[in-house]
Amino acid sequence: MTLHPILAALRRHKAGVVLIALQIALTLAIVCNAIFIIGSRVQRIQRPTGMDEKNLFMVTQLWVGAPTGDDKASIDKLDAMLRTDVQTLRSLPDVESAIAINSLPLTNSTWSGGIGLKPAQEHATAHAAHYFADEQTIHTLGLRLIAGRDFNAGDVHHMGVRGQNVPPIVIVTKALADKLFPGGNAVGKTIYIDRNTPSTIVGVVARMQVPSVDSWANDFTWNSVLIPTRLDGNFSRYAVRARPGRMDAAMKEARAALFAANPMRVIGDDADSSGVKSFADIRARAYRADLGMAILMGVICLILLAVTGAGIVGLTSFWVGQRHKQIGVRRALGARKIDILRYFQTENLLIAGGGAMLGVVLALGLNLLLMRHFAMARLPIGYVLAGVAAVLALGQGAVFLPARRASNVPPVVATRSV
Amino acid sequence: MLKMNHLSKVYRTEVVETYALRDFNIDVKEGEFVAVTGPSGSGKTTFLTIAGLLETFSGGEYYLDGIEVSNLNDNARSKIRNEKIGFIFQAFNLIPDLNVYDNIEVPLRYRGMKTAERKQRIMDALERVGLSSRARHYPAELSGGQQQRVAIARALAGSPRLLLADEPTGNLDTQMARGVLELIEDIHRGGATIVMVTHDPELAARAQRNVHIIDGQVVDLAEEPRFHAHAAEAAHEYR
Amino acid sequence: MFSYYLELALRSLRRSPGLTALMILTIGFGVAASMTTWSVFRAVSGDPIPWKSSKLFVPQIDMWGPAGKGGNPADPHYGDPPNALDYADAVALMRDHRATLQSALYMISPSVVPQQAGKHPINAGGHAVYSEFFPMVDAPFKYGSGWSAADDARRAEIVVISDKLNNKVFGGGNSVSKTLDIEGRDYRVVGVLGDWHPEPMFYDVSNTGGFYMSGEDVLLPFNTAIAAGMPNEGSTNCNEDPKESGFVGLQHSSCIWISYMAQLDNATAVQHYRNYLDGFARQRYPQWAPNTRLRDLMSWLDYEHVVPSDTRVSLLVALGLLIVCLVNTAGLLLAKFLRRSGEIGVRRALGAPRAAIYAQFLTEAGMIGLAGGVLGLLLTGVGVASVGLVMPKDIASLARLDISLLLTTLTVAVIASLLAALYPTFRASRVQPAWQLKSN
Repeated sequence: MTLHPILAALRRHKAGVVLIALQIALTLAIVCNAIFIIGSRVQRIQRPTGMDEKNLFMVTQLWVGAPTGDDKASIDKLDAMLRTDVQTLRSLPDVESAIAINSLPLTNSTWSGGIGLKPAQEHATAHAAHYFADEQTIHTLGLRLIAGRDFNAGDVHHMGVRGQNVPPIVIVTKALADKLFPGGNAVGKTIYIDRNTPSTIVGVVARMQVPSVDSWANDFTWNSVLIPTRLDGNFSRYAVRARPGRMDAAMKEARAALFAANPMRVIGDDADSSGVKSFADIRARAYRADLGMAILMGVICLILLAVTGAGIVGLTSFWVGQRHKQIGVRRALGARKIDILRYFQTENLLIAGGGAMLGVVLALGLNLLLMRHFAMARLPIGYVLAGVAAVLALGQGAVFLPARRASNVPPVVATRSV
Repeated sequence: MLKMNHLSKVYRTEVVETYALRDFNIDVKEGEFVAVTGPSGSGKTTFLTIAGLLETFSGGEYYLDGIEVSNLNDNARSKIRNEKIGFIFQAFNLIPDLNVYDNIEVPLRYRGMKTAERKQRIMDALERVGLSSRARHYPAELSGGQQQRVAIARALAGSPRLLLADEPTGNLDTQMARGVLELIEDIHRGGATIVMVTHDPELAARAQRNVHIIDGQVVDLAEEPRFHAHAAEAAHEYR
Repeated sequence: MFSYYLELALRSLRRSPGLTALMILTIGFGVAASMTTWSVFRAVSGDPIPWKSSKLFVPQIDMWGPAGKGGNPADPHYGDPPNALDYADAVALMRDHRATLQSALYMISPSVVPQQAGKHPINAGGHAVYSEFFPMVDAPFKYGSGWSAADDARRAEIVVISDKLNNKVFGGGNSVSKTLDIEGRDYRVVGVLGDWHPEPMFYDVSNTGGFYMSGEDVLLPFNTAIAAGMPNEGSTNCNEDPKESGFVGLQHSSCIWISYMAQLDNATAVQHYRNYLDGFARQRYPQWAPNTRLRDLMSWLDYEHVVPSDTRVSLLVALGLLIVCLVNTAGLLLAKFLRRSGEIGVRRALGAPRAAIYAQFLTEAGMIGLAGGVLGLLLTGVGVASVGLVMPKDIASLARLDISLLLTTLTVAVIASLLAALYPTFRASRVQPAWQLKSN
């Protein structure tokens, strides 16, 4: 079969051909970028924090009428309250271990600062999130220590929330260690967290994400430093690991036990700002916007493909109806059913191919626009090729029904006058 | 009623210019019944489409009812078609999606006529063509002869001053053709000017005057059989 | 005549129900997708206080100097002053009192202890503000009112509470003069706010990002809150660590944690205030050239990127979908209209002017648009109801179906269909008056 008759027929339906090709092009452009957005969001959602997230939950509470924390005595008082709470939690039957910590990955409450290699360094070498930890933090969170040692009880100090007591030792994540000391072997090296006080790295953990998932933290997502200090303020957070399978019970016990120990506190209990949250819940909330974006893009892709597919079916059906007689004549002149089917399939391939070529250009253009204004990454060519394959397949799928109807036109139609 | 002077119609393609009409002259008087004959491709239909303001022409003058139409815009031409001209097509040209009543109603709608008057005219026209009982039928449910009578009723309902017919019996058998021709003659008796394109000599003979077109030009009537010329003149005097 | 076109349109649409349904679905889905994302975008990009947003200004002062310059030099706003104030500057601006109305404010999150025994304390969100805050932002009161400048000065232990907190703690009703225990101290209620949720939350963007789910439970006098040592909630941004510890240390530091808003009634006042700010900065920070900004409210919201970029991308993509739906409808209409070129030719021959053909086919397209719009309305309803499932709650809660969204949906659907029909109708109107009904 030669292309000539198809091209001749297409020329007669210029406007229709242009419209359907344009539609395929726009569909390709949008679907490529939407799928890319879905892909990158799904990747984001699935990245591990570095903790063993199962059986982990977090308690956030606020003391009522707590000491101000402005002087040593009141800080000591706050510290005693904090330690009591941790003891209370650790003594619960369904709790395996518990710690006080200022924040956890994905909770968005970020304490961060620059880290230098020299005192009073003008520009920081790296930016990192601060986690105020103790000797049980690595164990409770399920972090993986890959070099050096863990903190021991003697390493752990305490200070007021706005205090400036930088401890002499810290543990850092591998990402941060690599950034600070590209030569490796960070253990034993000295860093400056507050520009003035030296701290020695005593250990390296494999991975620990920073609290924020917002774009401003994208530059230091895996840079965390564990500081062996209890932070004493009018509010506190506890990370609690429940015994396997005892999560719900542990969460209930924790709330009740803390209130029993000291009723003058607030532990939120509405669904949105609950003071006792499983880490699964924290993760779901943190990535809710990403998941939502992925779902929205998915829905839009589905609608787009359905609309375009239906449009191809509609327009091809119309063309088949219009060429009914012509098809009959072809059949009378010896064309087989398969020839008619091929005719319409080839026709669609030409249109969709033309549309796809324009679509590739539009897809890259749209990606550039998104890169410029919305900090999107460059669209990998694989997505574009997959998109091209998808619209070509969509075209062939959509054209099949009307084309088969065309191939079923009986040759006798040729002899009818009207 | 219809007068063309030195009229020409050229179809241009990239390679050739084809004169469909060349130095074409014709004068049809008010109330005349003229048959236009000629071989295929001679320009009969082109003449009729120009006469019916369906197409524009390339040069010359065309007076319709005393008005020079070459400078009229599309709206004015539509208005003249609607109010003064009735068409009968060889292929009937009924709109398949509309029933008989609605088909006849189409030109009256564009004239902005009141519902009651439209109804009156449609029923009258249907009665004249003998299809009163078929008002709610669709074209596909009627025979060819009946369809053509509906087309005639559609032309009739608008009481046109000029009726243009293109091979009105071309798709019909003899029996049906006779009925259609009688209707056309009936309309003529009512005072309308009739221009009918046909290649059927028997049909042409029923007209008052015959115009023969060959290669886009009117052939001198003197060469036509005297009988026709006399008949035409006689008819004219009779009126 | 219009009724004739309506009749013809209905007849034509009924004749090819499949194609008609396809077009209605296309328009419906396209419009619903864009209207759903629009409802979100509209909520987050709207003017929270349209009647006076042009009179509200946010001053910025560079208290850190060249050393505090951060960020990317390619950023168009590189070198701008920080987006909040430190305590000393905020208090000094209040003392100078150069605007018609003004207020420094900071976010607080104290606990409130209900009177009834056995009830756990609750955490209340709110702000510490000056007396002029209430008239400046036109906060509506259900009972009572704000407080006076004198109350500011004498650090009165008074509070304005939300209707919600009023119901929770006092069981509703006029609670003015009742006493509320906040962080163990007694405050006298002077006002109960009416229903007030400005969106975006415009007066403390640097702490809320523009979305404040909990809403204002308590509003305390600024000086009172400072005196009571009620620490700030939300972000604290430091160029240098405070030299002293605690909340008092924060007040003595150059850390920024205070928002500020001023009302300036005309261009002259704005110009005067700009000059004043420059003078203020020159006097307080003689080490570097004065670096100040004074942005009006809408520019400020834009500057602070209150509209999340996801929302913009969604809207963009949904608009793309609408365009595809338009092109699709245009193709189908073209096929549908040109299939009837025979009919058009006959109509033209029978005297229909071009305008009549336009009217006939645009009426048909308009009806598809209307039907698509009605379907779009239903789908938009579903869409808006389910944004909560896919978007962050604080933003999703802002999207709602109202009369203006309903009308916009219908209008967009009809206009979209008419646009899609423009070229097909043009083609239809170009069909020559026909001598023959083409039979192919």
